[in-house]
Amino acid sequence: MNSGLDLELSFNQAMQGFGISSDIAHILWLPLPMLLVLIAAVVGVLVTVWLERKISAAAQQRIGPEYAGALGILQPMADGLKLLVKEDIIPARADGLLFTLGPILVLVPVILSWLIVPFGQNLLISNVGIGIFLWIALSSIQPIGLLMSGYASNNKYSLLGGLRAAAQSISYEIPLALSVLAVVMMSNSLSTVDIVAQQNNAGFLSWNVWRQPVGFVIFWICALAECERLPFDLPEAEEELVAGYQTEYAGMKFALFYLAGYINLVLSALLVSVLYLGGWGFPIPVNLLASWIGQSPDSALIQVFTGAAGIVMTILKAYLLVFLAILLRWTTPRVRIDQLLDLGWKFLLPISLVNLLVTACLKLAFPIAFGG
Amino acid sequence: MLGFLQKVSNYTKDAISAANYLAQGLSVTFDHMRRRPITVQYPYEKLIPSERYRGRIHYEFDKCIACEVCVRVCPINLPVVDWVMNKETKKKELRNYSIDFGACIFCGNCVEYCPTNCLSMTEEYELSAFDRHSLNYDNVALGRLPTSVTTDPSVKALKELAYLPKGIMDPHEVKANAKRTGDLPKNILKAIKKPSTSQQLSDNTIIDDKQ
Amino acid sequence: MNISNSTELICFIILSTIVVCGGIGVVLLENIVYSAFLLGGVFMSVAGLYLLLNASFVAAAQVLVYVGAVNVLILFAIMLVNKKEEMNEVKGLKLRKFLSGFVCIGLLILIIRVNITTAWPLPGPKSIGEESTIRIGEHLFTDYLLPFELASVLLLMAMIGAIVLARRDVYFENENISPSNNIIKQSKTPLIADKSSN
Repeated sequence: MNSGLDLELSFNQAMQGFGISSDIAHILWLPLPMLLVLIAAVVGVLVTVWLERKISAAAQQRIGPEYAGALGILQPMADGLKLLVKEDIIPARADGLLFTLGPILVLVPVILSWLIVPFGQNLLISNVGIGIFLWIALSSIQPIGLLMSGYASNNKYSLLGGLRAAAQSISYEIPLALSVLAVVMMSNSLSTVDIVAQQNNAGFLSWNVWRQPVGFVIFWICALAECERLPFDLPEAEEELVAGYQTEYAGMKFALFYLAGYINLVLSALLVSVLYLGGWGFPIPVNLLASWIGQSPDSALIQVFTGAAGIVMTILKAYLLVFLAILLRWTTPRVRIDQLLDLGWKFLLPISLVNLLVTACLKLAFPIAFGG
Repeated sequence: MLGFLQKVSNYTKDAISAANYLAQGLSVTFDHMRRRPITVQYPYEKLIPSERYRGRIHYEFDKCIACEVCVRVCPINLPVVDWVMNKETKKKELRNYSIDFGACIFCGNCVEYCPTNCLSMTEEYELSAFDRHSLNYDNVALGRLPTSVTTDPSVKALKELAYLPKGIMDPHEVKANAKRTGDLPKNILKAIKKPSTSQQLSDNTIIDDKQ
Repeated sequence: MNISNSTELICFIILSTIVVCGGIGVVLLENIVYSAFLLGGVFMSVAGLYLLLNASFVAAAQVLVYVGAVNVLILFAIMLVNKKEEMNEVKGLKLRKFLSGFVCIGLLILIIRVNITTAWPLPGPKSIGEESTIRIGEHLFTDYLLPFELASVLLLMAMIGAIVLARRDVYFENENISPSNNIIKQSKTPLIADKSSN
């Protein structure tokens, strides 16, 4: 396995060229990928918001945002700016401390989860060993923030919305984790880099989606439920709960919820592409392409191409899934709370358990195909 | 054991049919994405109302004989006809007439039954006001001539779908003098009366006064 | 002392302060919702301590299980039963408080004593880092298999107990699974039955 581009190493060497010690170069390097990924996440959200509005408009035979920038591409920016300068209101009888802490607790775990999203062999902030498990653990913090803001708003709708969000998160976390476990079992590693690397032996034919179709569907359904996307947007069902836990929020605190929701959507889409759609992998193996045009896979040109194609492929796959989520939003009606819990506990949970069992059996029976 | 298997197979069938319906729904949504947006950029573009559009009611004070038929046929007796009996001429003398468009449902009964045709429906529909009492139009306000979107230079007038020429779906690409599909009602009537020359008639220049 | 060591020390001091102060806050705060949220904070800092010990898997499991499940369930229970109720007067409350405080302080002294008298092998065994996930799995399925299975059986018992307590008024006479019967059966479930009876 070639290591591909290693930007940190190059940066370190360049810094040492300036006469800076390796330790300090490492410290200088640390904030760079974090900042880059933070910017990527925010830009990803802006693009997603724009896409959401444009695609929603197209699905309803409207035009959508048009005047802010070409094709309204600056509309999300304008929205964000508006929220930034809006008055920050804390309701009179609300609990000020928890009211402020809630949105932060919702946003921070989501952003932290970007730690493990790989855009290439070395293009991620940190290849932590527990990788995907970290994401599952972090996303379980979110309901606390939701409950907190629901409680602190001192509003029936907010409290109900917060409780619903927490119930939903808890019940969908289990099938989600189980379907991830099936993937992990095949790749013998929790690390996202290993999970992708194990899928990229034969181009798109070796993607996990062929070996884990059930897991793929379960994961996607659960991810939608975790993001509170439309078939499962009960916590903010406007006909019943005004806006759920966001009811009392305005200005930047509301923007934090909004941002968290969309970052979570993009993150889930990215993780689906990492877990099931080969992550940064090109549909046709790059080595094969290189040999077709008579280039060595280790040449600098091919390396740069692999890196660039990796980023493009990851984002492309993720945005295809975002598109699917938006399409689903305008196709499916909202489920009732009892249907939601039924689906989670009586349908997804047993099926994901069976999926896990079948994967284990297949792994023992066909160790070549299922990562023995 | 068999019962359990039956359960499992029912379960699977349900799941598959649910997935099937979901795919159907998704394909419908997807199909809608390639359709033309029906958006009209309102203050800058306006749709031309159809010929028999029931908009704000126009009223001619001089034609009115104060018979109050309009009041009687109105579902809520809305028009206010303020007249006095002139003892000398033994005739009704009309002093005021008003209709409150805040309550009118634009059913057009008054127009239909008016014996002197002093009431008529216009194509005006922009009746928003800051105060609902300002929607109570008196005879002066009712007598104002309606404005037309086609004559307003600041507005791009768009034809409705039914008035577009054959094969064209987007009103933006229609030339101002383009003929709509099909014949006008009066031409159709003529064609019915003389079936032998129908082809000839529809080929003749048809004056489309509205479009 | 290099950068990483001092960072570790600062993190340890901050985390342990949060754990101690948070723990005291959980016990002493009047508002029970605040206590529950603080408990979540304490769990998080304990996870941070695990991270400092290079036990990232345990830290993540701590967050997932304690913060994500246990604490959320506690909050759930508190918020669903958010009734301000006058507590019954307990006889000899002062004495009870004193006794329990005495026992707790005794335990604390015991722990401190153990801490001082034990000969800790310093520095401890070399951390295995990323390997630990595999090592934990191996231990769970070999030498700790019995306690592991016993714990899961205990949890299963607790779950069944909870179900029995929650739905003891529901009986199904015959297990027909025709669709029309299903609807009737659904209407017999306590959630819906409660609604109709109230």
